[in-house]
Amino acid sequence: MNVQQIVEAVLFASDAPLTADEIARADETLDEEQVEDAIRQLRAEYDDGARSFQLVELAEGHQILTRPEFAPYLERFDNVPRPARLSGPALETLAIIAYRQPLGRLEMEYVRGVGVSGVVRTLQERNLIDVVGRAEGLGRPLLYGTTQHFLDHFGFRSLEDLPRPEELPILLRERIPLGLDDDVEAAEHEAEGFVAEPEDDLEAEGVEELES
Amino acid sequence: MDLTVTERAPEREGFLLVDIDRFQGPLDLLLHLIRTQDIDVFDIPVAKITDQFLKAIKGLDAEDLDVAGEFLEMAATLIRIKAQMLLPRPAEDDEEDPRAELVRRLLEYELIREVTLRLRAAEADRGRRFGKGYVPARPKQAVLDVPLETTWDEVFAAALLVVMPPPRRVDHRITARPVSMEEKAVLIMAQLKNSARIRFSELLEDFKERSHGVMTFLAGLELTRRRVLFLRQSRPFTELWLYRRDDDGEGAVPPDHVVSEGDAE
Repeated sequence: MNVQQIVEAVLFASDAPLTADEIARADETLDEEQVEDAIRQLRAEYDDGARSFQLVELAEGHQILTRPEFAPYLERFDNVPRPARLSGPALETLAIIAYRQPLGRLEMEYVRGVGVSGVVRTLQERNLIDVVGRAEGLGRPLLYGTTQHFLDHFGFRSLEDLPRPEELPILLRERIPLGLDDDVEAAEHEAEGFVAEPEDDLEAEGVEELES
Repeated sequence: MDLTVTERAPEREGFLLVDIDRFQGPLDLLLHLIRTQDIDVFDIPVAKITDQFLKAIKGLDAEDLDVAGEFLEMAATLIRIKAQMLLPRPAEDDEEDPRAELVRRLLEYELIREVTLRLRAAEADRGRRFGKGYVPARPKQAVLDVPLETTWDEVFAAALLVVMPPPRRVDHRITARPVSMEEKAVLIMAQLKNSARIRFSELLEDFKERSHGVMTFLAGLELTRRRVLFLRQSRPFTELWLYRRDDDGEGAVPPDHVVSEGDAE
């Protein structure tokens, strides 16, 4: 048995993305680098061999997935697990969270202009977001961030795969206060949210905390 | 989401007919008003936009306070900005343009909306790839595929079973509930003490008012929930039977016992 076969066996049996590090646990003699090599070889092999599946980089790991052109055949079966599509409000809220994480519900509501508590619960139930901490300040509101499953759901390798603001076809985008990486900026905007309508916002948050 | 807006005939200049339900919220609506009229976001004519916004939300469903509140809050913000714009500001005043905060929010919301479209596309692409977890199809119990066969005779017979007194004409009056569910639960339990099952209609024999029927039914459901009894009906619109459930959880009749037609009536 060679390394490539072992790696293939592990990937074949897995129903979720695995990192090279995780795959390397299959055997004491394996290290991450060997696994990475094997993955590259396997990927090339599958691509050259006209297989119906590919070795895909997904959610910070690797997984064997069928090629998209076979979807029509698989979709005929009721029990092929099919990711459900998210609603408009859910996607919108998720987009805000993805770019601004970690952030609280107040900030999501400020950006969207509408309440988000129901949507946040749904996203959390579907394991697309999770609580990642608490903010400083009054009431120490919960902060949310996206999960591994979020990356999987959208086929992203990492958060770097999110469309960058500068790629979006919007006029004057340089003036838009959105950052992929800096939490400082996000924190500043949260502060802005508080300043804008302090009383109303705090009241609303208080009520929701009681409910949950 | 379809964002088409019908431009009205010119007799009402600048009037936009907007279907509010199509919008995710006030920012969405506001952005739509601005973008469809080629307005410069950095120089929003607040008075005009405020008028259009207020017109657009006129038809808001007042029943849904949460949604209405979100739009009204934005309306209030717009009116406040409009008022601030009217106040003279000294030229050297370093205070921000009253519209600045709103513009920031609009642009950011627009960006989010764009990202949302991208996410939607990414989600669809990912949905066309399948990982492990495929299980070969097993034949399904096609219960739902069987058409409901009910003849007019059956419907008619069922209608006859519903013997309700004609509603007495009353002006609006609020009274305490004449019958309680507990009362009916006691009645049901008393009846079931002697026999394993009873007809629902039997329980109603001594009462004429509709509320008794409702309460008896509710009591039946409640007792079922408490696993004191279970309900059986052989077919839709036929007699409902209440069965006693014994202490060990087993009914006097096996739960899967199907009441034959003869039993039912």
